[in-house]
Amino acid sequence: MNRAKQDVLVAALLLLFCGVMIWASYDIRDLGYPGLKPETWPRFLLILLSGLSALYFIRSLKETAISTEVSSSEIKSNGWKKYQNATWCFVLFFLFLASLDYIGMLLGGILFVFALLTALGERTIRNTVLHAVVAIISVGVMWLIFSYALRVNLPEGNLLSIW
Amino acid sequence: MWDVILQAGSAILLDPSTLALMAIGVIAGLLTGAIPGFTIAMGVVLTLPFTFGMSPIQGIATMIGVFVGGLSGGLMSGMLTGIPGTPSSVATTFDGFPMARNGKPGLALGLGVWSSFFGGIISAILLVALAPQLAALGLEFGPWDYFSLILFSLTITASLSGKALLKGLIAGVLGLLFATAGEDPINGMARFDFGWDPLLQGFAFLPVLIGLFAFSQLLTDIEDSDRARRPLLEKSMSAARIEHKQAIKMIFARWRNLIRSSLIGVFTGILPAAGSSISNILAYDQAKKAAPDDKTFGTGDPDGIIAPETANNATAGGSLITMMALGIPGDVVTAVMIGALMIHDIVPGPSFITDEPVLAYGVFIAFFLAHFMMVGTQALTLRLFLFATRSPMYILAAIILAYCSIGVFSLHNIQFDMWVMLGFGLVGYTLRKLGFPLAPMILGVVLGQIAELNLSRALSISDDMTLFLTRPWSLFFLILAVFSFSFPWYQEAIKSGRRWSTYFMPLAIICLSGPVLLMEGYIRPAIGVIMVLTSIFMAWRSWKQVQINIEEQQT
Repeated sequence: MNRAKQDVLVAALLLLFCGVMIWASYDIRDLGYPGLKPETWPRFLLILLSGLSALYFIRSLKETAISTEVSSSEIKSNGWKKYQNATWCFVLFFLFLASLDYIGMLLGGILFVFALLTALGERTIRNTVLHAVVAIISVGVMWLIFSYALRVNLPEGNLLSIW
Repeated sequence: MWDVILQAGSAILLDPSTLALMAIGVIAGLLTGAIPGFTIAMGVVLTLPFTFGMSPIQGIATMIGVFVGGLSGGLMSGMLTGIPGTPSSVATTFDGFPMARNGKPGLALGLGVWSSFFGGIISAILLVALAPQLAALGLEFGPWDYFSLILFSLTITASLSGKALLKGLIAGVLGLLFATAGEDPINGMARFDFGWDPLLQGFAFLPVLIGLFAFSQLLTDIEDSDRARRPLLEKSMSAARIEHKQAIKMIFARWRNLIRSSLIGVFTGILPAAGSSISNILAYDQAKKAAPDDKTFGTGDPDGIIAPETANNATAGGSLITMMALGIPGDVVTAVMIGALMIHDIVPGPSFITDEPVLAYGVFIAFFLAHFMMVGTQALTLRLFLFATRSPMYILAAIILAYCSIGVFSLHNIQFDMWVMLGFGLVGYTLRKLGFPLAPMILGVVLGQIAELNLSRALSISDDMTLFLTRPWSLFFLILAVFSFSFPWYQEAIKSGRRWSTYFMPLAIICLSGPVLLMEGYIRPAIGVIMVLTSIFMAWRSWKQVQINIEEQQT
C-alpha cells in the first residue's frame, strides 16, 4: 500500500473513530448547571476532528488518483521486516503486563528485558549470557532504587508472595 | 523580594541533595543530548518518575539540569562524529565537525561549550527581567484571552509541521480530545468511560507522554535490526582536551554574533512551540549573512559554531519565560515541566510568580546554576559518552523500556497506567509512521483541560460569544492564530514567487494593530499607531518592488 492509499485508510478510520465517539458523547450526563455543559467541549472537538478528517480523506483520495502504485512484491519483502522489532516489543510488553499479577515486577521485568534482548539481538551463546547478565543487573538496580530509595511498592506477584 | 530570593537560593544552593540531583540531571542531560536517537524531551520525560518523591523545587531544578545539559550535549557527537546528537545541534555540525577534523577538536568543543554557557546566561538574565513583566501583562488576561492564547499556541505548533499542516491539526485536536476522557473538570461528570471504572480517572499525563514520546521513539530507533545491533557510534573517537581559554577569547572577539544569536534563541523560545531545533539553524543562517566573507562557513569557521550553540541554549530561557509568565509551554520540554508541576498541584500561569515566588525564583537560580554545572561536567561527560556509545541501541532500548514501565507504575501505584503507556506507545508509533507530528498532540494533551476550564469560565461570566472578538487581547491572539495557520501557504508562496506573499507581513501587522489600538492607556495605542505606519511603509515598499520587477520583465 502506498502512502496515499494508507492516508485514505487512516482518514476513514479517523472518521469511524469520530462517529463512535460522537455516539458515546450522548452518554454523558448533563446535570443542567449553567455554563459549559460536560458534553459541549468534547463534542465541539469531535465535530472539528470530523471536519479535518473529512478534508484529509478527500485530499488523500485526490492523491491516490495521481500517485503510482508500488509493486506489491516490494512491499511484501520490506513490510513485515521493518516492523518486526516493534512488533516484538509490543508483544513482549503486553505479555509482561499480563503476567505482572503472577510473577511481579522484579521477575517479570528481568524476563521481559532478557526476552526482548534475545529477540532483538543476535542469538549466540555468548550473547544469551550477556543478555541475562544485563537483564538481571539493570532491572535489579532499578527495582532496588524504586523499592528502597523512592519507597514505591512495586507489584510482588502471587508467585513470589507465596514465599 | 530579597527574602524570597534568599529562601529560593538556600533551597537550592545550601541543600546538598538538590545540588547533587541537579548535577546528576546535567550529566544525564549531556549524555541524552549526545547520544544520537535520544532527544532532550525524552531525557526530561524519563526524569519525571524520579521527581515524584522530590519537593517541587528539587524536581523542577533536576529537570532544568537535564534540559540545559541536553541542549549542550548534542554538540559532542556532532563535532566528533559529524552526527548531531539532537536536532538542536544540527547547525553546529556544519562547522564543528570540519574544525575537529582539521585537527582542532579541543577548540571546537571549547567554542561549543562556552557559547552554550554564554547563550544560556544571557537568556537567564532576560528570563529574570522579562518573565515577571510578561506575567504582569498576563494578569490582565480574562478567560476569553487565555482561551484564544491556547488556540494560538496550538495553531502555531501545527503550522510548524510544514507540509503536514493538516496532520498537525488533527494531532493537536486528538491531543485535546484525549484530555477530555474521565471526569470533566467542572461538574465531575463521567465522559468516555464506556462503563469501565479505570477510565473514570482519565488518562494520566505521564503514561500518555512516555507512551507517545519515549516508547514510540525507542521503537523507531530499533526498527533496523542491523543498525540496532551495532554500537551507537562506530567511528573512532578520542576524548579531546577542551581548550577553554582560547575558546573564551574567540567568543568575546565575536560578541556581536553572541548577542545576536542569543536574542534569536530567546525570541524563538518565547514563541509557543518553536524550539531549539529551529533557533540553531536561524542563528547559523544570520551569522552567515552577517559575515564579511561567508565562504569560510562549512569549513570550520568559529562563527558557525558560536551562533547555533549560543542560540539553542538561549531558547531554553525563552521557553521558560512563556512557561512561567503565561503557563503556555514554549516547547515539548516545557510542556513536560508543566505536567510535572501539575503533578505537584501547581498550575503555572500569570499568577505563578506571585503565588509561588520561592519556586519561581528557584527556577531562575537553577537555570543559572545548571549552566555552570554544564561547563564543569563536560570533560567527565565526554568520557562517559565515549563509553556509552560502545553499546548497541537494542540493549539501551530494552533497559529504558523496563525503566519506563517501573517509572509509570510509580506515579499512582496502579497497573492501568502501564496499559495506558502501552496503548499510547502504539498510537505514537503508528502516528509517527504515518507522518503525523507528535508535538501538537502533546501540547493538546497538556493544554486540553486548561482550555476547557477557561472556556467554561468565560461562558459562566457571560454567554456572549462576541467577547472573544471584542476583547483586545483575545482578538489579538485570534488574529495571530489565523496568520500562523496560514503561514505554511505564505512560505510556499514565497518559494514560488507569488505576488501576494509580499503583502502577507504588512497585512498581518495592520490586522494586529487593530486590537493594540483598542487597548487601554497611551503606550499601547501608540505602539498600534507605529504598527499601522510600519505596515503602510512595508506595503508601499513591496508594491514598489513589484513595479520594478514588472518593468524589468517588460524591458
